[in-house]
Amino acid sequence: MTGAMSELTNLDLTNCDREPIHIPGLIQPHGVLIVLQEPDLTITQLSANTQAVLNRSPEELLGKPLSSLLNSSEIQNIQQCLSQDFESINPLNLSIASPEKELEFDGIVHRWNEVVILELEPKITGKEPDFFDFYHQVKEPIARIQKAPTLLEMCRVVVKEIRRLTGFDRVMVYQFDSDGAGIVIAEDTDQETPYLNLHYPPSDIPKQARHLYTLNWLRLIPDAQYQPVGLIPAVNPSTGQPLDLSMAVLRSVSPIHLEYLYNMGVTASMSISLMQNQKLWGLIACHHKSPRYIPYHIRTICEFIGQVMSTELINKAASENSEHKQHLKSLQTHFVEELSQAGFLLEGMEQLKPQLLDLIDSTGAVICSENQCIRIGKTPTEGEVHTLLDWIKPHFNQGIFETRSLPKQYPAAKDYQEIASGVLALEISRIHRNYILWFRPEVIQTVNWGGNPNKPVEVLSDNSLRMSPRKSFELWQEEVRGSSLPWQPYEVEAVAELRNLIVGIVLRQAEEMSSMNYELQRSNEELDSFAYIASHDLKEPLRGIHNYANFLMEDYVEMLDEDGVSKLQTLVRLTQRMEDLINSLLQISRLGRADLIRQAVDLNDLVHQAIATLTITRPDLSIEFRIPRSLPVVECDRNQVIELFTNLISNAIKYNDKDERWVEIGFLEGNEIPLEPRDSPIFYVRDNGIGISQEHLEKIFQIFRRLHGRDEFGGGTGAGLTIARKVVERHGGRIWLDSVPGQGTTFYFTLVAETER
Amino acid sequence: MIAIFNISPDQMVPQQGAQNRDEPSKEPDQHLQRMTATRDFFTQQMPPMLIVEDSNEDFESFRRYLRRSPLQIPIYRCTNGEQALAFLYHTGNYTNSQSAPRPGLIILDLNLPGTDGREVLRRVKQDESLKKIPIVVFTTSDNPRDIEDCYQFGVNSYIVKPINIEQLKRDIQVIIDYWFDVTTLSERSED
Repeated sequence: MTGAMSELTNLDLTNCDREPIHIPGLIQPHGVLIVLQEPDLTITQLSANTQAVLNRSPEELLGKPLSSLLNSSEIQNIQQCLSQDFESINPLNLSIASPEKELEFDGIVHRWNEVVILELEPKITGKEPDFFDFYHQVKEPIARIQKAPTLLEMCRVVVKEIRRLTGFDRVMVYQFDSDGAGIVIAEDTDQETPYLNLHYPPSDIPKQARHLYTLNWLRLIPDAQYQPVGLIPAVNPSTGQPLDLSMAVLRSVSPIHLEYLYNMGVTASMSISLMQNQKLWGLIACHHKSPRYIPYHIRTICEFIGQVMSTELINKAASENSEHKQHLKSLQTHFVEELSQAGFLLEGMEQLKPQLLDLIDSTGAVICSENQCIRIGKTPTEGEVHTLLDWIKPHFNQGIFETRSLPKQYPAAKDYQEIASGVLALEISRIHRNYILWFRPEVIQTVNWGGNPNKPVEVLSDNSLRMSPRKSFELWQEEVRGSSLPWQPYEVEAVAELRNLIVGIVLRQAEEMSSMNYELQRSNEELDSFAYIASHDLKEPLRGIHNYANFLMEDYVEMLDEDGVSKLQTLVRLTQRMEDLINSLLQISRLGRADLIRQAVDLNDLVHQAIATLTITRPDLSIEFRIPRSLPVVECDRNQVIELFTNLISNAIKYNDKDERWVEIGFLEGNEIPLEPRDSPIFYVRDNGIGISQEHLEKIFQIFRRLHGRDEFGGGTGAGLTIARKVVERHGGRIWLDSVPGQGTTFYFTLVAETER
Repeated sequence: MIAIFNISPDQMVPQQGAQNRDEPSKEPDQHLQRMTATRDFFTQQMPPMLIVEDSNEDFESFRRYLRRSPLQIPIYRCTNGEQALAFLYHTGNYTNSQSAPRPGLIILDLNLPGTDGREVLRRVKQDESLKKIPIVVFTTSDNPRDIEDCYQFGVNSYIVKPINIEQLKRDIQVIIDYWFDVTTLSERSED
């Protein structure tokens, strides 16, 4: 470890990325490497271990034609191999005569940068594997790979198959994200500590190692404690350069990497590249505690499986996405269905809280509508959400804003980056200020780092240089601080789709609302004109009854006794009462029909006029009118509002049995209104009258609803408050009351719609 | 005082026949008697009054108190707007100007079957010859729009029919006093 550490001190990530790992000048000792010069295949360079492996000294072979080592048919094979696609011919069966016995080798030949390299690995088994062996060995795994329903399932199949083929005690599939950070997504092992779901920083595999992985799809270290073997001569004589071992199967790996393998307790390691669209998608990584050599033909099978898997990746990833999309789609459909059944968007969303988090994999969400916020799961505070939303608004792109590292763009988010480093925001309606925000926590919060990052065993590493695990973790932590897991393109798409669906619902609801409004307006108009016509037509026969009853009294006075006259008088009185009722109906109906003419009205004048009208006919009335402060000038329909005040003040006068009666007319505005500050004033008419008991509060605005006998409190038709409410409603306002029976009543009203504030 | 019932020739309105059978049956004698009596008393012939009213009860009520006036005012009645216009223009059943003299005052109800009072008012007040005839609208409607419209058309007075017998008596008394006693009407017909 000390050695490794001292080497490490000179390495930072940058020069780690620059280390020329493709020209180490060394190979692993389990085979020999021979460099040949075309066309006559003269041996120009070779590994120093020929004596041990081939029983020939390097000096003996250097400068000699290959025929000094192999027979002519073998050389012919190699020539043929070089003129064709050697991939399909490797390995070549080669045998070299030695004093004791015939040595059998797997010969692997390739041409790289004008140089022919022949690598020889001693055969371990006697039996020659043929195509049928290969076919049998790959047939089953490939069928399983193709049958695997999901990408993850395929990875699970692959790790099992590779482990079965190779006997490694741990086989994993390691997937890179867009930043190069990796995660173990499948594992097959007999070891105690699982590595599944562990995450690794991008620095674990330097750039040039990744590049090599894209060139050479399989790497094997049979024994990490090997003694590397040098080349003779060190520099390739034909190129004058160190030999490029990019494609060499025997290439020696970085000593630091070996150190790590040692630290992890790994002696043998193999990795197979998984490619998608010419990019390194991931690795199949194999570990073994003791030395393990995998013969070339098994490696070929493994590599083939890796290639099949690579091809399948596109399909599986696509179908994976399509499955995920399908799932999202069904969630979405469900969500939208339920939403469309709810009367109002916000209410509907509130009921669908949990689904909102499922819809987009997130830990928190906020639904904003106008100034209301519904928070679900872990989210910033309401105040923070509002400020955040204000910041996001100009950043919306086609109604969507997404980031996985909010604090980097919006420093205020540092305060809550633990819960909201990632934000996906959706603008449903700018006018109605409808937004949905989804939050993802800082990735450190979610990543399963597998405990203490001090332990080297927790780090999966590959044929590459890397920093010490501890430092690597800190560095990586620093990198991901304030970042969440990324929002996947299909998630963003789903959100965009959701927006369209919601907009559809909103539009439909608006349409329904407007058609309902239209219907309502039409039926109100019909009702008004019905009331008008009906009451008009009712009056004619009523007048007839009234007049004819009088004619009876006039014309037949001699024939009628006192009782007869009294009954006719009652009849006349009833006709007059009925006329009062009809007149009230007419008045209400007229209120609904007449155009509202808003103009600036000085309510002081108006109220004084109303009081004068009420008192002029009753000079004996002893009542105190209180107007604590001058009433404002407001925009309203003068005739209607005078009707309103007249009815309210008239009631206040009528329903009062106190010795000292008073009526107060005033208003509240701005801060005087607790809980509901607003710009437009709230008016009130207060009395010290008989009050209204709680149970009747609802009924008093109903037409012809009387709480008292016809002749008590001066009578009346019971339409006054209905008229008052109609006036208020026509102005878009609201009327309500507070009352304490026996003490008095206060009627409050506004003359402006809430939304006009 | 003369009361002339212009029985509608329109057979589509059978109630009028019924009404005429019922009430006026006993009346002509009384009328004739009174007419004779008043004629002796007043030398001046009052211009006729045209009442356009579809309700028999309202007409009867009106006539009842009109009758109490000492002034002899010949009364003609039409029950709808078409009749009233035919009466004024001497068309239809009124081609004989003797049966349809130019009225000195028109009492006009607004809500009439068919051509309503508003239309009659508009037509009369737009006619160079007829517009001099004063029109008093006597109607159930106290709708501000009706009131406004009628004065716009040039109505001379607008009275809402009361449901109050005393008020009714006063109203009729005032109409007669004003239009037939106080006011000097234009007597000349231009046609």
